[in-house]
Amino acid sequence: MFGTPPPSGRGTPSAPGSIPQAAARDVIPRSREAGAHKTAVASPPHSVHLVGLRKQYGTVQAVDGVDLAIAAGEIVALLGPNGAGKSTTIDMLLGLTRPDDGEVRLYGESPQRACTAGRVGAMLQNGGLLPEVSVGRMLESVRALYPRALPVREVLARAGVSELADARTNRLSGGQRQRVRFALALLPDPDLIVLDEPTAAMDVESRRAFWTAMRTWAAAGRTVLFATHYLEEADDFADRIVLLRRGQVIADGPTTEVKALVGGRTIRATLHGLDDAVLTGLARLPGVARVDSRGASITLTCPDSDTALRALLAAYPTVEDIEVVGAGLEDAFVALTSDDSPEIRPAASRQETTR
Amino acid sequence: MSDITAAAASTTASARPPAAAAASTYLRYVRSEITRGWRNTRLLIFTLVMPIILFGAFSASGADDRLGALTVAPYIMISMASFGAMNSVLGTAGGIAVERSLGWNRQLRLTALTGPQYVLGKVATRFTMAVLPIVAVFVAGDAMRGVRLSAGTYLGAGASILLGLIPLAAFAVWLGYLVRPENLQAVTGGVFSLLALAGGIWVPVENFPTWLADIVKLLPMYWSAQAGRAVLEGGWIGVRGLITLALWTVVLGAAAGRAYTRDQLRT
Repeated sequence: MFGTPPPSGRGTPSAPGSIPQAAARDVIPRSREAGAHKTAVASPPHSVHLVGLRKQYGTVQAVDGVDLAIAAGEIVALLGPNGAGKSTTIDMLLGLTRPDDGEVRLYGESPQRACTAGRVGAMLQNGGLLPEVSVGRMLESVRALYPRALPVREVLARAGVSELADARTNRLSGGQRQRVRFALALLPDPDLIVLDEPTAAMDVESRRAFWTAMRTWAAAGRTVLFATHYLEEADDFADRIVLLRRGQVIADGPTTEVKALVGGRTIRATLHGLDDAVLTGLARLPGVARVDSRGASITLTCPDSDTALRALLAAYPTVEDIEVVGAGLEDAFVALTSDDSPEIRPAASRQETTR
Repeated sequence: MSDITAAAASTTASARPPAAAAASTYLRYVRSEITRGWRNTRLLIFTLVMPIILFGAFSASGADDRLGALTVAPYIMISMASFGAMNSVLGTAGGIAVERSLGWNRQLRLTALTGPQYVLGKVATRFTMAVLPIVAVFVAGDAMRGVRLSAGTYLGAGASILLGLIPLAAFAVWLGYLVRPENLQAVTGGVFSLLALAGGIWVPVENFPTWLADIVKLLPMYWSAQAGRAVLEGGWIGVRGLITLALWTVVLGAAAGRAYTRDQLRT
């Protein structure tokens, strides 16, 4: 099918004799490259493929050699502190900013062509809405600019804001605006949705509702890339986390792996009769990297918590209230993005295989 | 949407050649922008009422006084029609600047509407809206001062006024990409008034000293009203006017193009 993975997410089976949407959509704009498709059939192009992306603003290297390949159906969080280069990366990915160097391909095409074909929906950071119109009218006017698009009523329902169709755009709350912008991103019924800090203006309640709507949409096998500095959000929603620091990818892997990178797990317990000798003994246990104590409670940071726990029980049978917890994403984030941390590239091997 | 409808819709959409699809996207954009302009009643009234009031005030002097080859009423009528149309065309600057500050133009770039189509769409919308004040002042000219022309003269004068505004459209696009929206009000208020003054809208050029009139005739604004008046005198704008307009269009168009590209690429 012209090198495009079938959009398995459409949900409904095709009626007999009807043309599959993805094929019909691709035939015309891609016919000139027909020769290339035959070779491309073997490996469908990635939803997103960034190679060696660089962008400099003045003396600041905002993005410094980002490589990223996202397969169809992945949900990826682009995580990093402010100024890490998330928004610049997304702008280049969408074709809104020209990279100094490097290449962007969305479904094997330039961002402009992918957008024109309606394959990409996006919520840009700080993006506003057309003023002085109703939400429904605004969506209708944008809808007319796509080759094919979902009915306005449907995108409003999917974004969970059907009741806002007649509201004026300038009377919406922060959370409502974001939801309407989500509806806007859904208009072309895209295969890829890109969200730049989507929940920045939302309270807890609307944030939860937003991610529920998003999950429903993505469950159908569509690709999601979102930038965030909310660690919980990346942890809760993404299958994969790409960690950015100073314009570079410093970690890229499944959410669980990125969390395991730093410190593994933590053992907390109560041990009476603590003294320096006991603390030294605890620090020497196999699998333990660090010991902290406060009164009788101890916290062991463990790269290998299984070994550490066995050794702890053998050496100190009186230990009680044992708790083993995974390190929060917060810990991994702080450890990996602090400036004195070593250059960890756990993603190197993974990237090579996916490329 | 049922699957069959969706498939049918997508077939018709892709079956058209790309150029036709692009043209239809562009036309749909212009249509929705014009509709949005119509709904902005406040702006509409302002653009209509101002030139009519000014026409009434400025054309009140002696009916037989002459300015160049014309009597006062038709002369001022063309000046004010041109002024109203100019306000509409220069409004392109505000439209672009506001949408730029909201990031709305970036949002639209994620659709099938291309960047150049966006700019041309904004300009086309404003030119279409500019017909309103021209018609309104022509009607006022008849109703208030009994200026009645043939249909051909009305058409020719209106079209000539619009033609003369092409360099100013490029200027407005340039401003829209150059000036921050929070400063736009101040900048445009001053600039537009200066343009109108320099174009002989407030004070007829015939009343300027010769050296000043010569300078004014090098500027684009003068030629919009002059093109309209030339039709009333039974002539046309002439080679000198056309060349002046063409040169300004090239210069201002290049400036607009540069500002646009810089914004587009965020370099």
